[in-house]
Amino acid sequence: MRARPARPARCKQTAGGPAQAQRRRRSCARSSGGRGRFGSAAGMDEDVLTTLKILIIGESGVGKSSLLLRFTDDTFDPELAATIGVDFKVKTISVDGNKAKLAIWDTAGQERFRTLTPSYYRGAQGVILVYDVTRRDTFVKLDNWLNELETYCTRNDIVQMLVGNKIDKENREVDRNEGLKFARKHSMLFIEASAKTCDGVQCAFEELVEKIIQTPGLWESESQNRGVKLSNKEEGYGGGGACGGYCSML
Amino acid sequence: MAAEEKWKGWAWKQQKAAEPGGEREPGVLLGRQLPEAGRFAYAALCGISLAWLFPENEQSSFRTEFIKGFVKWLDLPDAVLPAMTAFADGLGGEGTETFTEILLKDPILKENPLLITQDLLSFSLQDGSYDARARVLICRVSWLLRLPLEDLEVLEESLLESLKDQKEEESETAEVSRKKKERRKKLKRYLLIGLATVGGGTVIGLTGGLAAPLVAAGAATIIGSAGAAALGSTAGIAVMASLFGAAGAGLTGYKMKKRVGAIEEFEFLPLTEGKQLHITIAITGWLCTGKYGSFTAPWSSMLHSSEQYCLAWESKYLMELGNALDSLLNGFVNMMAQEALKFTVLSGIVTALTWPASLLTVANVIDNPWGVCLHRSAEVGKHLAHILLSRQQGQRPVTLIGFSLGARVIYFCLQEMAQEKDSQGIIEDVVLLGAPVEGEAKHWRALTRVVSGRIINGFCRGDWLLSFVYRTSSVKLNVAGLQPVDLDDRRMVNMDLSSVVNGHLDYMKQMDTILKAVGIKTKECQLEEKGSGSLFSPQAKQSQRAAGREARGEENTRKEEDEVGSEALPANCAHQQNSSSTALGEPSPPCPDCSHSTDSKDQAVGKGAN
Repeated sequence: MRARPARPARCKQTAGGPAQAQRRRRSCARSSGGRGRFGSAAGMDEDVLTTLKILIIGESGVGKSSLLLRFTDDTFDPELAATIGVDFKVKTISVDGNKAKLAIWDTAGQERFRTLTPSYYRGAQGVILVYDVTRRDTFVKLDNWLNELETYCTRNDIVQMLVGNKIDKENREVDRNEGLKFARKHSMLFIEASAKTCDGVQCAFEELVEKIIQTPGLWESESQNRGVKLSNKEEGYGGGGACGGYCSML
Repeated sequence: MAAEEKWKGWAWKQQKAAEPGGEREPGVLLGRQLPEAGRFAYAALCGISLAWLFPENEQSSFRTEFIKGFVKWLDLPDAVLPAMTAFADGLGGEGTETFTEILLKDPILKENPLLITQDLLSFSLQDGSYDARARVLICRVSWLLRLPLEDLEVLEESLLESLKDQKEEESETAEVSRKKKERRKKLKRYLLIGLATVGGGTVIGLTGGLAAPLVAAGAATIIGSAGAAALGSTAGIAVMASLFGAAGAGLTGYKMKKRVGAIEEFEFLPLTEGKQLHITIAITGWLCTGKYGSFTAPWSSMLHSSEQYCLAWESKYLMELGNALDSLLNGFVNMMAQEALKFTVLSGIVTALTWPASLLTVANVIDNPWGVCLHRSAEVGKHLAHILLSRQQGQRPVTLIGFSLGARVIYFCLQEMAQEKDSQGIIEDVVLLGAPVEGEAKHWRALTRVVSGRIINGFCRGDWLLSFVYRTSSVKLNVAGLQPVDLDDRRMVNMDLSSVVNGHLDYMKQMDTILKAVGIKTKECQLEEKGSGSLFSPQAKQSQRAAGREARGEENTRKEEDEVGSEALPANCAHQQNSSSTALGEPSPPCPDCSHSTDSKDQAVGKGAN
């Protein structure tokens, strides 16, 4: 967990090669065949290693939905309307040969929906914290978001990724090093991206997923927990059925 | 008493909710009044509840349709649909606390959270059919918002009962007079339909037909005119009629036109004279001479909804069976039977092979009528299934309750329905008491397809008569009436009635106690509430009825424990505890931290605790 500083550099490299990035994108597009439901039907995609819950948070207007839209649909809409409550998208990606299904919850940044956010944190394995490099206030308020994350998140080993969005814009207010420093301080992954130019978007998600998969306790415990729950229940039932001396009689 | 005060306050609030026309700005749906975040939370709450209640794949279209319609109903933008669908599909539904908190903190709802129940009810009724699944959802959401279930009953009842007063008031307003002609025409038509069905439908049929157009008028005051606008439209009126079954005659109007298969008798008898948005059908297991000579006798105290029916079927054979059962018990076998009882209860390991020889010699007394009834009950069940599927009862939820062979009728009815299409959303709850059917979970799995609410299996481990008569009927060793059904589903509720039922015949004699134990409302609560009805202002009729029912529900049980308890509930409290814990263990237990949600299930718990 602590050996984070190396990551950003590597990440930058992969993002640097446009050909590679494009290849990745295409392969991902291919693999994201079904966008339907998958919760109960675990056997639907046999080759999917796991389902990961990813959360995108950050101030209003920093481009959370745009990042998601670029990642899932590879489109960009400069006039994207503000998110109401929360948006939800599913995408399958493969990282290091492992297929992972991402259930991405894109929260609304607006104040009036802020009360709703706590309900999405639970069970999330990864969180993407977004700020706008052209608006310093969105960077300053990251602390608040981290606080909220700490308050409502059910697990402490959740993988966090800091994304500085809108690097295509001229009027940059937050330096890359500042972001990097902040990410190091809070042991987060870091990348700068632009949903408009597609820069670093794919990489941000892939890095995050890779990190989650490298932390087996994070996603394996999920399924184990479920198993325990089930067996407990069965135990309860069985106990009821097997108790007493006369249950076997007709 | 402080509690009394509380109820009064509650009743007042209740009344306010029941007549929003006077208290609130009419014409504005609750959904539109809430801020966007509140509406989002409201929809999300419904979505998550849907996913929890109906996670099955075959229910996915219902979930999607419901949430789609609901997003529209709440005037939320389409952009939230993916998230809502995800909620309804069981994704991200880790917790409802945040959503309920937001809703309960809302200034509008803080004062009267019942508005949510009301809004959901009007949404569910808007297209004229009341899906059992929708009702289960409303119950669930109300429970999450810590509202007692009785509130929903009150809302449903007031929707119907305010009609009579409404009729006159309505004609005074100018706006309504414009519509009056139209309505009169309708009324006449319905009157004709009503009269036409008198032959088969008796009085119920008539009121059913008459009530239909008035329902929409009454709904306007309860639901709020905008909500009722959908219901009150010309098309809406026709749809409201559909709620109550074909031309209002409903079930009593149903007569077997010809002999169906092996069935000789099949008829619905009204148990109560009321009308409700949900109905209960009780099915008797056998008949015997004397006090329990009629189908309706065992159900005299039941008041699960104000519209209840009793299925009369094959009385000839059931009477034969009852007499055989009686002679088996009262005759010379009695002593041996007692012995057998000791055997089964105490030593436990008694198989069919070790029945006392003396008992087996008289087996022919019972075996023949039992075998005949066993076969016929299955046939009757299948027939009932097709009646329910054809919606003779109207588009509203049905609760089925039966004991012994009556439970077998229900079981086969559900099995038959499970094989048909469009069989979902008709049955709300089923209660099977001492059911002579197979108790293997895999056979019961199919039942979850058609039952929206709960499947209650009331069993008695020491029911020697059931195990005796069933010994030859089937090679299966598992009988549902003797043991819990080990089905892993939120719907399945097993209740050990060993403390109440000492023998199979007790299912008929102790029905009152049993109904209370399994959480079916009985008349006793109703009677007591009449006594204290004067405490409340006359306008709050509806509300205090429920409040009274609720408040007294608890006291009742207490009192009863003191007086009757020693007799009706002998030192078998351990068993009772067992059964009540089953009730609690079920997925939707009554809110534990909300003392006034005196659900009848709580009563069982209360008994158990004592």
